[in-house]
Amino acid sequence: MFEHTASRTKVILLFVFLIFLMFTIRLIQLQIIYSEKYGKMSEENSIRTMVVNPLRGYMYDRNGALIVDNRPAYTVTVVPAEFDTTQIKLLSEILNLDQQEIMNKIKREAKYNKFAPAKIKRDIDFKTLSLIEEYHEQLRGVDYVVESKRAYPPNVKGSHIFGYLREISDEQLAKAGDIYKRGDIIGATGIEAQYEKYLRGEKGYKFIIVDSRGRMVGSYNEGKDDKPPLEGDDLELTLDINVQALAESLLSNHKGALVAIDPTDGGIIALVSKPDFNLDLLSGVTPVELWKSLVDDKDTPLFNRATLTNYPPGSTFKMILAVAGLQEKLIDQNYRINCSGAFKFGNKVFKDLHVHGSTNVVEAIQRSCNVFFYQMMLKVGLDKWSEYASKFGFGKPTGIDIMEENSGLLPSESYYNRVYGKGKWTLGYTVSLGIGQGEVGVSPIQLASYAMALANQGKLYKPHIVNSIKFKKSRESKKLDVQFKQIDLNPEVWRLVREGLYRAVNLPGGTGAAARVPGVNVAGKTGTAQNPHGKDHAWFIGFAPYEDPKIAICVLVENVGFGGVYAAPIAGLCIEQYLYGEVIRNKQPKINLVKSEINGKLD
Amino acid sequence: MKSWFEEKINIGLLITLLLLVGIGLLSIYSATYDTGSSDYFTRQLIWAGLGFIFMIIVTFIPFRTLQLLSYPIYLLSIIILVLVLYVGKSVAGSKSWFGIGNFGIQPSEFAKVAVILALAYFLSDKKVNLQRMKYLLISFAIVLVPFGLIIRQPDTGTALIFVASLIPLLYWAGASNTFMLGIIAPSLAAVSSLFGITYFLIVIIILLIILFLQRENKLISAIIFSVTVLIGISVQYVYGKLEPYQQKRIDIFINPESDPLKAGYNVIQSKIAIGSGGFTGKGFLQGTQTQLNFIPAQWTDFIYCVPAEEFGFLGAFFILLLYFYFIYRAIRIASTAKSKYGSLVAFGVVSFLMVHIIINIGMVMGIMPVIGVPLPFLSYGGSFLFSSLIMTGLLFNIYLNRKEY
Repeated sequence: MFEHTASRTKVILLFVFLIFLMFTIRLIQLQIIYSEKYGKMSEENSIRTMVVNPLRGYMYDRNGALIVDNRPAYTVTVVPAEFDTTQIKLLSEILNLDQQEIMNKIKREAKYNKFAPAKIKRDIDFKTLSLIEEYHEQLRGVDYVVESKRAYPPNVKGSHIFGYLREISDEQLAKAGDIYKRGDIIGATGIEAQYEKYLRGEKGYKFIIVDSRGRMVGSYNEGKDDKPPLEGDDLELTLDINVQALAESLLSNHKGALVAIDPTDGGIIALVSKPDFNLDLLSGVTPVELWKSLVDDKDTPLFNRATLTNYPPGSTFKMILAVAGLQEKLIDQNYRINCSGAFKFGNKVFKDLHVHGSTNVVEAIQRSCNVFFYQMMLKVGLDKWSEYASKFGFGKPTGIDIMEENSGLLPSESYYNRVYGKGKWTLGYTVSLGIGQGEVGVSPIQLASYAMALANQGKLYKPHIVNSIKFKKSRESKKLDVQFKQIDLNPEVWRLVREGLYRAVNLPGGTGAAARVPGVNVAGKTGTAQNPHGKDHAWFIGFAPYEDPKIAICVLVENVGFGGVYAAPIAGLCIEQYLYGEVIRNKQPKINLVKSEINGKLD
Repeated sequence: MKSWFEEKINIGLLITLLLLVGIGLLSIYSATYDTGSSDYFTRQLIWAGLGFIFMIIVTFIPFRTLQLLSYPIYLLSIIILVLVLYVGKSVAGSKSWFGIGNFGIQPSEFAKVAVILALAYFLSDKKVNLQRMKYLLISFAIVLVPFGLIIRQPDTGTALIFVASLIPLLYWAGASNTFMLGIIAPSLAAVSSLFGITYFLIVIIILLIILFLQRENKLISAIIFSVTVLIGISVQYVYGKLEPYQQKRIDIFINPESDPLKAGYNVIQSKIAIGSGGFTGKGFLQGTQTQLNFIPAQWTDFIYCVPAEEFGFLGAFFILLLYFYFIYRAIRIASTAKSKYGSLVAFGVVSFLMVHIIINIGMVMGIMPVIGVPLPFLSYGGSFLFSSLIMTGLLFNIYLNRKEY
């Protein structure tokens, strides 16, 4: 204590006491004397802020065609605090929804905020809408809002590319912070999920005047304080929607996948996985039964075969050994073996389909000679084989910009040591790897990337579906970076391997003749993956035009048999569609002639 | 005999503090409940934990060490305030933050602690005599350096806190009644004349009565009186000369409800929130004003309406009692400390916290202008909670060392 403090303590205490006394009087005034008035004001609080959701960004294909659009959809909402639960039966009948399901949704929202409208059913039809209007008086607290819904072209599903939207989960909400609110729709799979932050746009706010029942009676201050929503950014895709449509229809009765890729930049031209599902049905809230039927379907329509399958590549893998042998100078183009139709190693016999006789590397690719590559496998060795396969991107994800991808399986010495134990496996285990059978697994997107690198002689681009983003705010378009890894080989190696691929399609004895396209040189390789569970899987990889490749492709058809018979023709048709913009092979040149004559006469 | 614990630790203060921080966390939880994210709550909880650890450390800093550190800490905080102007990150147009990962730190909050220590050290010096102008001016200078730097950020609300907190501290340190009158009367006159001529006249009459009762030197009394009147009139005069839009801005500041959508919106909504709470409140997480987000960013400056709405008069009055008891205990610590330095540190804390409480609760209740100032221990904001807890640590320290000279 020092001078003054005794007397000044009293003054200060008095001052502090008076301040708190004043606050207390004010509290009594607000909370006791006028509490009814303020209670009423809070009930009638007439200015409310309303969130206005933006439209999601649109998606265009490589030719500028609008492919993912928005259309209006009506959503029924219920304010838990206002809803008269004795009317639940009526609401259940109108919406054709289980009473319990409706109550669950209302309770879930009420748990957080019983004054905020819970979204009960999305995308109702016009009849339901008019019934809601009709029973307006009985159904207190029931209302509808206009939201938007995705719309897709009629002949394209694109299930595994575009992906579906889903109501945000509580866990996602907890992570995302205040960008989202309960009941918001976000991308769940595919591009919708990967590019969510661009597509979602920015929410707007509207100040509205409401009556005591929470119904809007007008906008506040003529809407001058409102903030309009900002539409999501548009995506320009590398897809060619017509190739996509054709590919989907060609695979429609099969299980399988197709990936077509642009070898000049890695842009995905088409990506199909069959069977697929209708994105329309999953837009918004998915009915439980529908979801269950998709998950339980034994043909797994939700599974993206284009990026997730892990099948042996079969003979399409032979070029790995050809490249490794030539580049490492273990063989040259004059190196020949004599194919007797079988290869004996130790006491095991590895078979070939034909007796190919004297064969060099180019002919071995052309005719798909197994014996040549059995021997090559022993010459090159497991580790070099694995190293070259890895250079072409096998054994790891390609980095494609839609989620869910399998690394596949690329065995190496350490893999065998791990699985069988050191010294407990022999070279015989590895021989069949030379023809892409056994313990090697790839996905169609990996094989398509490999076909792309063979086409453009070593540029392994990162596959991508989005080419550029058109920003709504700045109105600028930003092209996304294209990344690639360079595979450096002697030009002679590329020449020989590509020559083999050309012959495989175009010369007698080649296995890929079914991929030919009128007027264009196609190069490619067939493959047949042995399947212990049923019929073999058919593969085809290829590219065209041979001289200046514009498209590389990989086709997988499950459980049908030879790649040359089932996969190659599908590849040919898609290449034709892409390069000509239509399928021309069935059009007789004569008919064209007649048409132009008629035209000429009319002119 | 008091137990060792009671002897060393001010238990009343500790319990009050824990209750206030707990109520703050509950209110933040409620105010951010609808975002579906417990981010705000969790962050505040982390800061509270950190703050308590540092509070304990500050409590046990040896008394002499604390004294010797006073100026170095002040210097350091000035350097940091300069730095933040250059490398700080902007939040809502104000460059007052250092970002470290996900956490932001506001150096101006820590400057509060530094200013308290520096002023206490300066004013406890035996040479310092507050009857002389020189020492008064130096006291002002100690506050004006951080004030100027914070105004540059710009964060006017926080800067004002510094000046407002200095006045009671000078009074505690021994400034004469006349000096206090000479500062307070003209400021009151300036503000009251904006409210209208009646309020201005009331201030003048009260001033006359006080001057008469004080029986001070006639010349000094006359000077104080004429300065007060002159300032009151010139404020009126200047107001009359202003452009209409400038007048409107002042009007809105004085009476926010004249602008119901912008400045007044929060106040109107917060009054409705408090009033509609009634005697017993609407129940935890059941406040319509709170849960429907009528008050933007309610978890910061307008946090007091959350418990007032959800727990009614009972809750709101209980919080007032807690604050009153807290301040009362703190004043007791200041008045019983044997050393002048200790007494001044404790009173500095009283002064800063009280200014925050008056401005904030006054604003939320609609009896003070809207100035963005948070409520100690309740408002969301890590740096402020942290600095408030360090200030409380200083109170515990002075209590522990109350017998030191």
